[in-house]
Amino acid sequence: MTSSQPLSGLELPPLSLYVHIPWCVRKCPYCDFNSHKAEEKIPEQAYVDALIADLKEEQQFAQGRRLQSIFMGGGTPSLFSPSAIDQILRSAEELIGFNPNIEITMEANPGTFEQKKFRGFHDAGVNRLSIGIQSFNEQQLQRLGRIHGRKEALGAIHMAREAGFTNINLDLMHGLPEQSPEDAERDLQQAISLEPEHISWYQLTIEPNTEYYSRPPTLPVEDELADIQQLGEELLANAGYEQYEISAYARKGSINLQSRHNLNYWRFGDYLGIGAGAHGKITDIQTQQLLRRRKTRLPNHYLDTKKAFCSETSVLTAEDLPLEFTMNVLRLSEGAELESFKKRCGLPLQHLEPQLSQLKEKGLLANDLQRLKTTPKGQRFLNMVLAEFM
Amino acid sequence: MTDLSHIRNFSIIAHIDHGKSTIADRFIQVCGGLAAREMEAQVLDSMDIERERGITIKAQSVSLDYKARDGETYQLNFIDTPGHVDFSYEVSRSLSACEGALLVVDAAQGVEAQSVANCYTAIEQGLEVIPVLNKIDLPQAEPDRVAQEIEDVIGVEASDAVQCSAKSGQGIEDVLEDLVRLVPPPEGDVDAPLQALIIDSWFDNYMGVVSLVRVKQGTLKVKDKVITKSLGRSQVVDSVGVFTPKRKVTGMLRAGEVGFVVAGIKDIHGAPVGDTITHASTPDVDAVPGFQKVKPQVYAGLFPVNSEDYEAFRDALSKLTLNDASLFYEPESSDALGFGFRCGFLGMLHMEIIQERLEREYDLDLITTAPTVIYEVMMNDGAVVSVDNPSKLPDPGSIQEMREPIVEANILVPQDHLGSVITLCIQKRGVQKSMQYLGSQVAVTYELPMNEVVMDFFDRLKSVSRGFASLDYSFVRFQEAKLVRLDVLINGDRVDALALIVHRDNAPFKGRALTEKMKELIPRQMFDVAIQAAIGGQVIARTTVKALRKNVTAKCYGGDISRKKKLLQKQKAGKKRMKQVGNVEIPQAAFLAVLKMDEK
Repeated sequence: MTSSQPLSGLELPPLSLYVHIPWCVRKCPYCDFNSHKAEEKIPEQAYVDALIADLKEEQQFAQGRRLQSIFMGGGTPSLFSPSAIDQILRSAEELIGFNPNIEITMEANPGTFEQKKFRGFHDAGVNRLSIGIQSFNEQQLQRLGRIHGRKEALGAIHMAREAGFTNINLDLMHGLPEQSPEDAERDLQQAISLEPEHISWYQLTIEPNTEYYSRPPTLPVEDELADIQQLGEELLANAGYEQYEISAYARKGSINLQSRHNLNYWRFGDYLGIGAGAHGKITDIQTQQLLRRRKTRLPNHYLDTKKAFCSETSVLTAEDLPLEFTMNVLRLSEGAELESFKKRCGLPLQHLEPQLSQLKEKGLLANDLQRLKTTPKGQRFLNMVLAEFM
Repeated sequence: MTDLSHIRNFSIIAHIDHGKSTIADRFIQVCGGLAAREMEAQVLDSMDIERERGITIKAQSVSLDYKARDGETYQLNFIDTPGHVDFSYEVSRSLSACEGALLVVDAAQGVEAQSVANCYTAIEQGLEVIPVLNKIDLPQAEPDRVAQEIEDVIGVEASDAVQCSAKSGQGIEDVLEDLVRLVPPPEGDVDAPLQALIIDSWFDNYMGVVSLVRVKQGTLKVKDKVITKSLGRSQVVDSVGVFTPKRKVTGMLRAGEVGFVVAGIKDIHGAPVGDTITHASTPDVDAVPGFQKVKPQVYAGLFPVNSEDYEAFRDALSKLTLNDASLFYEPESSDALGFGFRCGFLGMLHMEIIQERLEREYDLDLITTAPTVIYEVMMNDGAVVSVDNPSKLPDPGSIQEMREPIVEANILVPQDHLGSVITLCIQKRGVQKSMQYLGSQVAVTYELPMNEVVMDFFDRLKSVSRGFASLDYSFVRFQEAKLVRLDVLINGDRVDALALIVHRDNAPFKGRALTEKMKELIPRQMFDVAIQAAIGGQVIARTTVKALRKNVTAKCYGGDISRKKKLLQKQKAGKKRMKQVGNVEIPQAAFLAVLKMDEK
């Protein structure tokens, strides 16, 4: 066996921080994220302490950079108190430091219990709220196992506005069990009418290790799903939402409302991951290596001071990188500058050949000498494009 | 202990599932060939595929020392034989090394056509046939009825047949006693010039070519200089011995014995099955009348999915042909599939097994095209050509007459299922030749187009008779038939590898059924895929696989990467055994759609 080609010419990309809060009131049947049904009392303070200790170990990987974004996801981060969120953010600022215009997003449930805390989260420094609406249809919400109803869903965005949020994302699903194209259209219309800055409109997929996987619901057939996709894209475009990624839409205007945190993932930037089961990706400039770090998954193990936070560090190889890179950048409508492959992956452009030329010939990648990006057709068949880089 | 009077060479004739391998295991146990801890169920079926499918594909041999009730020790040489209809030629090879054969019949199920055919081969070759009733412990066993059936159907005296149960071990020693008592000892002169018949040869990674031989005359020893009659190349014998079933070097094999020879042959064609080995000093000795080289009955193209695998594929085939004299292959090139080989098989099971062995043992990823029989074409100028590949059928204008192979099929079926078997035969264009009631079974003989028989007839026969009907068939002649080539066009382009030869009257139906089936089997792609069936220039059926509209994973953030990667990997694995023809990805199953048209 020959060893992999070493990387060289890696440059430090922008740095983000992902914070994982692993508890939920209950587990949804479609969810395959690392989430756990909350016991009566969440060990909030112990977890915050652990997060801060975890971050201290990660500090070294900042390599002089400050954070350009933070994303608190879960689970249900809004189960935590504003003061817990405040502690986490203050430690992050002390240990790593913030860029002046840092984006700090938190995922929130539209339940009434959470809505009362919106102002507190805002005061703690959260400046972008991502609300997991999923649907406005009562029956769908029940089927999806969500604990909120239509009323809470509609109320959440007003509460968020009142709490001072000026940058709000709504998470909305389509292709739901037994959903007709008309149902999907109605849901999307409703979301648009609430005028959020950002909409994540994504198709339900059945993942392994979920309740839906073991007991599959009746999903719309392939052609209906394609119809839904098409009508949704038109609806969003007409309402002034610009698609910049497969499932991400931002309102067009004088300020850029795209999710800076997610953009950093998709541009193959660096991120630290803290919390149970969190992932991080780091460019080590000294050793010219790209690392993936994974944190221990179970909350109990994460909280156990005798156990290490990090359960695995792996080094990305020259063989992994064409796929890892394209899996991210090709999700973006803008794609990426071809040159950025050298800086982000430390490899010459030839590593993307012969697939690059072949896919251009097939009309799946744009014939662009500067940028690596899909054609509209390539975007619809992205999985087929990516499979070529395996 | 090489006194000829104490040697017994025998085979076992049995239908699949009638318990041959289990009986053999018992023999080995009784004679102490393997310690208990070495016993593995069905020790003789050494290939994984054999054990998994419960069938024997290759001939094997075991030499066992049996201490009989008369106090003497006998050397029993058991030459194992395959039981499936596809492999009957191997049976005749094995039988040619024996003086006797056990006919093992399931006492609950009765005689099956395959055993009948093999029994006749054994009797023709002058072997003593000894009936044995197995599975006597089953509650539904009817030994008397089955013994009567053996007499009625085969004409072998069976009233004294040993009743045994290989499973429980009951009666096994009685079977061995019968063997010693009834099978004649081999004849031969240990001092005569050497004549050894090659029953089987195979390639061993460490020793090179190993041959299983039956010494008819003379003595074969280590360091002897030997030649094979047909090749005449001289080799020095490195090793000689027997299987117990473990390989045991004895240094010598004498007239009447069965064992292995290793003669430093590296070239795998150096020891052809059926050939005779003799000493280099006696090149003029007569060749042992071997057995006819069997001709393949079914032909199909095999193509590597990745064209870089072509060389490896060729090497694998050349290794397999040493073990399998019946496997034929020659290079073929297809516009659609590139370079591969046209291979000839004994039947569909043989084809499946070869493909499986190539993929498993040689790690090749292959596409097999629809199997076809050989047709005879008489050209306008009177010349007769054989066609084993539909895409190579000459231009219809130059053809005077086309002929298809006809087989005689002997079917044994319980009376209750006779009706449905006759219906099936008529459906397959059969002509009844005879029908005979034999106890509770009926023996019917049909002439059928071989094309209909080799494809799925055996499976259909089993299913319409609830598994009770059995079949043996042999080629009788070529007969004129109205045949046409059915072409398949994918997005307007004729795909040579998908062409079929069909009966003209069936063509419209086959065309429709084929395009419908292919529509189910070809996955949706990024564009519409039109599938047409045509005869000459005329399209007779058409279906379309509608384009997929999207294939993209909805959500994907940083931490998701490894999971999404798995998803892509799964998609990629699904692409295995797909061949890109033009722009269209065609899965293996679609190339064999013709075999699945009766399934709903």
